[in-house]
Amino acid sequence: MTPELSEPVALPVGLRERVLEASRQAREAGRSAPEVPEISPAEAFSRAADALYGLLCALGDDDWRIPVLRGLDVQGVVGHLIGVEDDVHRCLAGDPEVATASHVESTQPAASRQAGRPVAWTCADWRRAADRTLDLVRAAGDPCAEVAVHSMRLPLGALLVARAFELWTHDNDIRRAAGLPASVPDPPTLALMTRLAARLLPHAAARTGLHEPLNVRLVLTGPGGGTWDIAVGEGPPDPVSIRIIADATGFCRLVANRVTPADLDLHVTGDPARAAGVLAAASALALD
Amino acid sequence: MPAMLDQVRLDDPVTGRTAPEHCAAAASRVTVRGVGGSDALLAARLAAGDDHALAEVFDRLAPAVYGAALRVLGNGAAAQDVVQDVFVELWSHPGRYDPAAGTLRTFLMVQARHRAVDVVRSELRRIARQERHHQLTPGQRPPSPCDEVTAAEAASAVRAAVRELPDSQRRVVELAYFGGLTCREVALAAGIPEGTAKSRLRLALARLETVLDRQLLESS
Repeated sequence: MTPELSEPVALPVGLRERVLEASRQAREAGRSAPEVPEISPAEAFSRAADALYGLLCALGDDDWRIPVLRGLDVQGVVGHLIGVEDDVHRCLAGDPEVATASHVESTQPAASRQAGRPVAWTCADWRRAADRTLDLVRAAGDPCAEVAVHSMRLPLGALLVARAFELWTHDNDIRRAAGLPASVPDPPTLALMTRLAARLLPHAAARTGLHEPLNVRLVLTGPGGGTWDIAVGEGPPDPVSIRIIADATGFCRLVANRVTPADLDLHVTGDPARAAGVLAAASALALD
Repeated sequence: MPAMLDQVRLDDPVTGRTAPEHCAAAASRVTVRGVGGSDALLAARLAAGDDHALAEVFDRLAPAVYGAALRVLGNGAAAQDVVQDVFVELWSHPGRYDPAAGTLRTFLMVQARHRAVDVVRSELRRIARQERHHQLTPGQRPPSPCDEVTAAEAASAVRAAVRELPDSQRRVVELAYFGGLTCREVALAAGIPEGTAKSRLRLALARLETVLDRQLLESS
C-alpha cells in the first residue's frame, strides 16, 4: 500500500549517508552559496579606501568637528589613519620599530597634528598615504611575505585585509557620529574579512586566556559569510563543541568591538559560558 | 581558508590583553537557543555552507519527502533517487527556497512530487519511443494479426488505384515500382524518351496520392 502524501516513511538503510555524501560532492561544505567573486587583499583595501574617501568628500566642514572616537573628531580619526599608513609604510620598508608599536599611541601624534589644518589637506594627505600603501604593496609583490606592525605578525595579504577591516570600521564610526546610516562591505571584501576573523579567533582566544580545548563551529550567514570549524585552546583530542551562528556583518562589527554579543541576533548551542568566552575573544581582536 | 592566512600569528603574548569589560559582561547574557528552529535560520545556515544544517533538515524531513516520492512512483529505488535529487538541489542552490513563501517542508514536498512526476513522464516517454521504434523497424518484432490485416488492406488499395490509372501511366508505374527499374530503364523498356517517362510517373503519383487520400478519409 502506498503511503498518504504527508505520511513519513521509514528511510532505507544507507540513504542518509548517500544523500549527504552526494550533496557534499555537489558543493563543498563551508563555502557560502551563491559564491562571491574572489578579490585580492589589495583590491579589498583599495575598495575600503575608496568608500571612506567618498564619505569624507561628502561631509561638510562642520561635520569634521563631530566627536567620533577616543576624543578625536573626524579630522583626528583621519589623522590616526594617516599615522597607521605611515607605520605600514615603515613596516614595508623593513623598519623593526613599528613591529611592537602601539596601534593607538604611535598614531596619536599624527592625529593631533591635524588639529587646525584645513580638512581638505587632511583628507588629501590620508588619500595619498593610502595610495602609497597600495604602491608599496605592489612593489613588494609577494602577498605571503610576513610583515610585522602594531604587534601583529602576519602575511602581507592578511595585513591588507586587516587594514580594509579598519577602514570600514572607522568609516562606520564617522557615519554613526554624523547620524548617517551604517555601511556594509561588498560581499567579496566581507568574505576576506570573515575569513581573517575566523582564522585569528584561536589567537584571540589564547590572548584572552581561553586555554581549555574547544571546538567552535562558526556559521556566519549572509553574503560574504561561511562556515568554519575552529579548534580553540590546547588539550585532549575530544574537546567540547559549541556552535555560534551570527550574521556575517554583525560578527565583523563584534570583532571590531563596535557592538556587544547582546546586540547581535546570535544563535548558540553548547556551553553558554564557553560561547561567551569565545565571543569576548572575538571582540578582543579589535585594534581600535 | 586561503593559503595566505595559514601563517597568521600574533606576537602579543597571552598575558597581554583581555576582552573589553563591556563585551565580556554582555557575552555572558548571550541567549542560548535551539538552532533547529526556524526555516529562515536553516536556510541561512545552508547558504553559509553549514553541512550540519543539511543533516538536520534531512533527519527532520527526509522521511516525508521519501513518502511523497514513493506515493507517486511506487518504487523504492526511484523514490530514493528523488530524495537524493531534492536534497542535493537544496544544498547546491539554497537560495531557491524562500522562507517567506512557505515552510521548508512544503517546499521539499512540492519538489519531491514534481521530480517524481517528471520521472513518471520520462518513463512514459521512453516506453512510447520504444513502441515507435518497433513500429518503424519491422522484423525486430513479429507483426501482430492487426498489423498484417492493415498492411494487406493498404496493398490492395494501392493495386486497385493503379489499375484505375490510364494505360500509359500504369505501365511506367508497374515498371518503376513493381519491376524495380530506374527512370532510364523504364524509358528504354517502354520505348519512350526518359523525360516522358519522368513526367508520366509524376502524373501517376499525383493521381494515386489523390485517390489514396480520399480512400483514407472515407475509411476513417
